[in-house]
This record gives sequence, structure tokens and C-alpha cells, in this order.
Amino acid sequence: MLQLLLIAVRNLAQHRRRTLLLGGAIAGVTALLVMLQGMTTGIRSTLLESATTLSSGHVNVGGFFKVTAGQGAPVVTEFPKLVEIIRKEVPELDFVTERGRGWAKLIADDGSSVQLGLAGVDITRESGLKKTLKVTQGNLDDLAKPGSVLLFEKQATKLNVKVGDALTISAPAARGANNTVDVTVVAVARDIGFMSGFNCFLNGDSLRQLYQLKEDATGALHIYLKDIESTKVVQERLRKRLVELGYPVMDADPRAFWFKFEVVNREEWTGQKLDITNWEDEVSFVNWIITALDGLTYVLIFVLLIIIAVGVMNTLWIAIRERTREIGTLRAIGMQRRRVLLMFLVEALVLGLASTGVGAVISALLAMGLNAAQIPVVEAAQLITMSDTLSVRVTGGSILGAVVFVTTCTTLISLIPSFLAARMKPVTAMHHIG
Amino acid sequence: MDPIVSIRNVTKDYTLGKTVVSALRGVNLEVHKGDFISIAGPSGSGKTTLLNLIGCVDTATGGLVQVVGQSTGQLTERQLTDLRLHAIGFIFQSFNLVSVLSVFQNVEFPLLLQRKWTAAERRKRVDELLTQVGLQSHAKHRPNELSGGQRQRVAIARALVTQPQLVLADEPTANLDSVTGQNIIDLMKDLNKQQGTTFIFSTHDPKVMSHANAVVRIEDGQIKDRISAAEATLAVAAGH
Repeated sequence: MLQLLLIAVRNLAQHRRRTLLLGGAIAGVTALLVMLQGMTTGIRSTLLESATTLSSGHVNVGGFFKVTAGQGAPVVTEFPKLVEIIRKEVPELDFVTERGRGWAKLIADDGSSVQLGLAGVDITRESGLKKTLKVTQGNLDDLAKPGSVLLFEKQATKLNVKVGDALTISAPAARGANNTVDVTVVAVARDIGFMSGFNCFLNGDSLRQLYQLKEDATGALHIYLKDIESTKVVQERLRKRLVELGYPVMDADPRAFWFKFEVVNREEWTGQKLDITNWEDEVSFVNWIITALDGLTYVLIFVLLIIIAVGVMNTLWIAIRERTREIGTLRAIGMQRRRVLLMFLVEALVLGLASTGVGAVISALLAMGLNAAQIPVVEAAQLITMSDTLSVRVTGGSILGAVVFVTTCTTLISLIPSFLAARMKPVTAMHHIG
Repeated sequence: MDPIVSIRNVTKDYTLGKTVVSALRGVNLEVHKGDFISIAGPSGSGKTTLLNLIGCVDTATGGLVQVVGQSTGQLTERQLTDLRLHAIGFIFQSFNLVSVLSVFQNVEFPLLLQRKWTAAERRKRVDELLTQVGLQSHAKHRPNELSGGQRQRVAIARALVTQPQLVLADEPTANLDSVTGQNIIDLMKDLNKQQGTTFIFSTHDPKVMSHANAVVRIEDGQIKDRISAAEATLAVAAGH
């Protein structure tokens, strides 16, 4: 085997130009695969960060309260009881917070305004928010004061406000009326992906005041787990348990809560119904981007692999033609067919491993460089990247996966010419002498 | 004593398009252990085809080919390969060394294929052979760093390293100058005498033929006669 490896390495070294060309192409495909996966992972991770900071916990106990059949509001009543149940039923729990939900117009003194989703928070219980939000102006803890709001940088720029400036929040309420509340900007945070463009944080009591809610009412309970992998298990367990405890629970619907108004308002029931969702449900409206990017990656890699396949086959054909005498000689002196097959497979494997290894290193370095450079993404592209800077997350697993995948493909492709080389008759060697 | 090679009424046809060309027509030949036999004949006479059949790299269309007691027509491809590996050594006109391996590695290769030798045994055996062919100091060289004569010596060492019962050499001196060719034949003859290895080589060079115990003359796919080297040399001189 060592001898076959030696022959493979030396043959590749002997035909340096051909090896470099084909190896370069394989390395390029590997690097591209790793980079595309890194971008998808980066987007997924930004999305997770955005979603679990702005609009969702890992698991959510939300729901709708209807005074009349056609008027649903994203409200959960008597939430302290639910918090107790959650603490008891979810040993995987890291922490739980309550979030008010709303949709309102924020109006600045100079008349500029934006429509934003409102998240009413009790900042004293939001340990996750404190870790994730990067406050550039003001103080996050000031959100504990009544009548305080935190904006993201782009929102503050659009409204032309800074910390200490006043805003009026106007929200549509029942029977066509608008409720308003005056607030002060207490903090401005760095944008988190494109989703921070339509969400802001308001003092929880101020949100209750805006919608005239009781103290024990909120929008949803955000449950953060020690390990995000247990999300689905916890979601299902909680759903079953709440039903057992007599809570009316909505059927599973993997969409963000604001997509459900129409369905909820069409239904006849009144009162409270709970809705158990997870973070993926709450950001499902942007999942198409990840799906599209995944699809693009697969199509691109498929096309590139075909090109590589043609290259590998062609190169091996040339190598086999050039080495006809060598193959015949080796067969004549007693090398079995399967060892000839193995000899060419080893050559393809060595080429594949070396090239994909180089490609993986290049892509890892490139990803490190791109991340360090904090390259800004144009606003239109932020819809795709979910972030204002380019983020490429290359993991050891994705590198290993790409190396194994491309090397396996290269080796499998080389099976055809290798098999034909192994079928060659040893008499071919003698013919060269005739 | 049983012959090491026994060929009875062997025919070999090649199909070229719609034409069937008979390369061998009813050949009979016996070679015994320790023989140093030359197969002589003009180009296209069938000597390479005959060597291919004896070397088990090709199969006969008809007749019986027995090599070291085994009827080659009844063996599978795998068994034929094993027979070549363990019983036959090959020396080619164009040396046919593996260009990316060193002299030592080329000679060692058949032993690796046999998978029964330790590294120390292989080293000892290869060193012995390289010493015999006078190339011990060139063990680490690659074939392209050697002269034609040196390459053919490497090929001889490779052919003998497994201690085969039979060595086949197809025009082993054709690509060498006369002095080097003479040296190669002398070397083969010495190995034949010292180790009793059977050699069958094809040639149309009278000087090379003169070293053989016997010369088998082949013409138009048939064996014309089997004569002594002296008779063969005279026949060549007389133009027969």
C-alpha cells in the first residue's frame, strides 16, 4: 500500500502542471462550498440571534385574547401562573421573561415617524437581552423607568432622535380609536440584522398603559433553554401539559404570531387561547432566504462537481494512456487487477485530499479575513445576509464535511477510468516491444 | 525430466477487422529447466506471440500451453497473474521500469506483490541482486538517471528477484549498443549457469544467438527447426 501511495504522490508530482490545474479546480470548489456553507451558517446564526433577542424565546407561550369573536389581541392573561407551570415543567429552563406585543407608530418631535413592532420588557428579568444588545448610546437599565424606549441605530437615525429625546407612540386600539403614550429614548443599540429594522423595546408597564392591559397580562412568555437543541422536545411537552392542565391551546401553526390574526379573528371563540411556538416558527417568514441560499449552494456545487468530474476523468484518461506500458508491465510482473484499480484510486484520493485540504485552509483564512474586515453589506443585500456586515461562519464540521464530500466525489468519479485501466491486458506491455 | 515449458500444436489467430491473421500455426516446443534458449526469426515471424503465450500474458486460440506444469488455458485471469508473479520473470526490450520509483524500489516491487517477505528480507534480496548486476551504488537513482545498459540490468534484477523458474526476455538487447548488449547477454548467461534459471529470449542478432544452448528458428508462425548456436550462426552467415 505504501508503494502505491508513493507511486501516486510521485506521479502527481511528476505531472506538476496537470496536477496543479486539476488540484486548483478541486480546491476552488471546496473553498466555494465551505464559504457558501459559512455564509448560510452565518445568516442562520444571525437570524437565531435576532429572533431570540427581538421577537422570540427558544420556546414561546403566546396566544390571543378575544373580547368578541372578531377582535383578537396578542395577549396572555394571568401570566404569573403560567411562569410557575413553566418553571415546574421545564427542567431545561435557563430563564423565562415576559414580553408585551404590539404594533405602533413612533412619532418624533420634528414630525418624522416609523411603524415598528413593540416589545414590552421588564429589563430587570431580561438577562439575555443584556448579553446580546450592544448599546451605543444611553443605558439599557434605564428601560426599567416608566415611559422609556430603546431604539436601534437605524431607527434613531430615521427618527432623527438621540438619548433623552421624546417620542409619541400611537397604537390602533379597539373600535378604531388610537391610544397614545409619550416616551423618552433611554438607549440606542447597534442593529442586529435586518430584523432590528422593525422592532424596538418599550418599558413593559408603558406598553400595558398603551393598550390598557392589566398587570398580569403580557404578550408572550419567552422561554430560554440551557441547550437550544431541546427546543422541540420542550415545546411538545409544554403543549401537552398545558392541555392537561385545562388551558385552551391553539393547534400547532409554525408561523409568526402576527400572521395568525386573520385565522384567529375568523374563529368563533372568545376569551383566552394559548399558542406554543418556537423561535423557528416566529421567523418562518424569512426562512425562504435560507432555503433559497441552500438551494443555490446545492445547484452551484452540483454544476461545479460535474466540471470537476469531467476534469478528473479526462486527467485520469490521459494518465492511463501515458502509463499504458507501466500498467501492462505491472500486470505482466504479477500485479492483480484490483491492485491496479487501487493504484489509480489512491492517486485520485491523494489528489482529492490534498486539494480539498488546501481549499479548506484557503476558505477558513478567507472567512477569518472577511469577518475581521467587518465588510459592510449594502442595505438591499441585508435582506439576504440578515446583518449589516458580512458574516461567514466556517466551522470545523463544515470544513470536514466539505473535504470528505469533495474527496469522496473525486475518488468515486475516478472509479470508471481506474476500472478500465485495471481491465487492460498485460500483453499491451509486450506489444510495445514487438 | 518434465519440461518447464511444453507447447503442443498451438495456434494463435488475431482478428483484424474482417481478416483473420494466423500468428502461430501448430507450434510444438519443449523447454527444460536450465535451458538458455533463443527464439530467432525475422520481424512478424511470431516470436513475440510465442513468448506472450509462454509468459501467460496472452492465450492461445488452439492447442496446449503448459508452463511449470500448469495448463494455462485452464487457469483464470487471477491464477495466471499469480503464476506470472511466482514463476516467471520478464525482461522487456524497452526496459519498462516504473519511472517514479528508484532502482531499489523497482527491483523490490515484485517482492511487495508477493506479500510474503519482511522488509529486512526484501532489502537483503534486492541488495544481493543489485550487487550481482553491478548496480548497488545506483540503488537510489531513478531510471531516467541511468544509461540504457544500466536500466536493462535493473530490469534483469527485477525479473530475478522472486527467483522465478523461467525468465522471458523479448529482444533484450535491441535497444542497446553492441558492447552493452554483449554485457547483458553475458550477465544473463552467468545467472543461468550460477542459479540454473531457465532463460528464453527472442532475438535476430546472430551475436546474441551465439550464446544460446539452442536456437529455435521460427518463420511464418511455424517452428522451422531447433539447432545449436553454432549452426544458427553459420546459417545466418550463409543467409538462411
